[in-house]
Amino acid sequence: MTALRILILEAQVPFVHGGAEILVRELASALTARGHHAQIAAVPFLDYPKDEIFAGAEAWRLLDVTTAGGADVDLVIATKFPTYFARHPRKVLWLVHQHRAAYELAGTRFSDFRHTARDVALRKRLIDADTRMLRECVGHFTIARTVSERMLKYNGIPSEALYNPPKLAAQLHDGPYGDYVLTVTRLEHVKRVDLAIDTFANVTSSTRLLIAGDGSIRHDLAERIAQRGLRDRVELLGRVDDARLIELYAGCRAVLFAPYQEDYGYVTLEAFLSRKPVITARDSGGTLEFVEDGVNGYVCEPTADALADAVNRLAADAALAASLGERGHGVAATITWDNVVDRLVSAA
Amino acid sequence: MRIVVAEARVPFVRDGAELHAQSLVTQLRGRGHDAESVALPFDGRKDELLQQAAAWQMLNLSTSNARSVDVLIATRFPTWFARHPRKVVWLIHQHRAAYDLFGTSYSDFTTSEEDMRLRAQLTALDSKAFAECERIVTNAQNTADRVHRFNGIAARPLYHPPPLADQLHNGPYGDYILLIARLEPLKRVDLAIHAIAQADRSVRLVIVGDGSQRAALECLAAQTNAAERITFRGALWGSAVTELYAGARGVLYAPYDEDYGYVPLEAFLAAKPVITAKDSGGPLEFVRDGVNGFVCAPDSASLASAINRIAAGPSLAEHLGRAGQSVARAITWDGVIEQLLG
Repeated sequence: MTALRILILEAQVPFVHGGAEILVRELASALTARGHHAQIAAVPFLDYPKDEIFAGAEAWRLLDVTTAGGADVDLVIATKFPTYFARHPRKVLWLVHQHRAAYELAGTRFSDFRHTARDVALRKRLIDADTRMLRECVGHFTIARTVSERMLKYNGIPSEALYNPPKLAAQLHDGPYGDYVLTVTRLEHVKRVDLAIDTFANVTSSTRLLIAGDGSIRHDLAERIAQRGLRDRVELLGRVDDARLIELYAGCRAVLFAPYQEDYGYVTLEAFLSRKPVITARDSGGTLEFVEDGVNGYVCEPTADALADAVNRLAADAALAASLGERGHGVAATITWDNVVDRLVSAA
Repeated sequence: MRIVVAEARVPFVRDGAELHAQSLVTQLRGRGHDAESVALPFDGRKDELLQQAAAWQMLNLSTSNARSVDVLIATRFPTWFARHPRKVVWLIHQHRAAYDLFGTSYSDFTTSEEDMRLRAQLTALDSKAFAECERIVTNAQNTADRVHRFNGIAARPLYHPPPLADQLHNGPYGDYILLIARLEPLKRVDLAIHAIAQADRSVRLVIVGDGSQRAALECLAAQTNAAERITFRGALWGSAVTELYAGARGVLYAPYDEDYGYVPLEAFLAAKPVITAKDSGGPLEFVRDGVNGFVCAPDSASLASAINRIAAGPSLAEHLGRAGQSVARAITWDGVIEQLLG
């Protein structure tokens, strides 16, 4: 194998640390571990006001990433909007997402794009520009099937979903099927933590809900817990460190993860690697690529009633949780970095 | 405050400027600020420079994730082109090939009409961007002189502690002179090798660092009559370095026209005297001849006689080193951050 000089292109959102950032770092380590010289090149991504999103795209277009430090860059891997605006003859796409607010989120409460003439025109301009830039790529991969479907629908470009293992894959382990259900998420509207909280108003057993993660709506969620009289049943743990997270996974009865149209989400795979079943909703997107109803978890209507039914079933039967979790483990164990690196590097 | 530290990074290359920006972020966080660094990939080829300035200009860093950013701290070309209502520059350097390095072998700018126009354009763009900034300070006097000379801006140097500041400590005044530098021509390690060959045979030279000149320097050392008194330790980090500082008789650091240079301050924090040269630039802001070290003519004989002064016994070395220590201890991150944020 030839060692390649590879730049992974990252859209950094200053002061926000999330899954995409971890993905990029994991990819860099995976490439390095296989003998390549991989580095991350980032440009901050700023989406306020809305017009600024073109400026960020323009910045990528202006930078020359074909050479670095006096030598050629053999390959660049674009990830999120607008990194695929970079110029390079060997530009491979591993799409995390486009600017979702202008795509499938437009018109929902999760987007700042409204149905006004101005916003509709802006969306069209953005999607058209994306399509041109995405076509320049010599290989088209995405992090999940949901993302591939979206790119086909909006940009007319087919691609292959290429899954990667979660960061904690090697350390996650199983443990007792305890008396709590776990949610791991950033506390943002699109993650629908409010729905998870409401679910527990309908849970009949003494099973608790532990929510690991932090975010901009933490205060609202704490109020909601108080208003529903769930302070003794639902707990916001805030951001927890990896060691604590691994133990939380190991000791839970099941994992509840029902965001709105998540692209991939490591939570499902982390739960499975800990041999825990996953309760999700049928509009949760990426989780559905792994969770099969009644096989390794439950796929519910996105309502508190339906989710509570699933929680009640697992709360009543630890052996059931164990057998579903075991089957989930079989699914997650097939996803490897070797495969990701091989596909990305051989595409160019 | 929410603060963005803007960096320009050359992919696949690590350098001092990156360390500088990272230390600043760490120190700001340590004082309760929400600080984050933002770095665009940088390419120093002259036909890319204007585009890269334009790329930075595209970025409106006044807001991130729906929350405003209070201050932007720019560090080197072209970071000050980013848009923000409150920009502070802590200048590490402009694009030196178009500035002070022009006319030397370190610059790719020629005297062609095209290059002269590009140089003038870069200088004018920098000057204009500097004028938009709330405050400009520099990392060293050399840098301040340069921004005055080329951009007509009066700026004060704002010194910061070296990266190893918290770990450095004093120890016995041993039988070796320490030299720490990347082994590149500008660092003039050859001068040190000739100097030790001429100095008293009781004193050794320990060289820490690696670089393109390593093989040539090892060859040079082997040819002198002091081969057995010169050791190349390669690149070292952390406690390996602080222990070598702790046990040295003194530190020799005589590069050509350095901007700042952490080594003299690190030596002082370990209470060791510093031997430097009159044309070494940055070190002269701290080293006083006969007070905390020696400032010599840039030739091996002068350096050798300074080495002999401290080789004669540990008491002079200790006396000078202690004087240096109080100079270095006055440089604190508290002071830096207070002045940066005003």
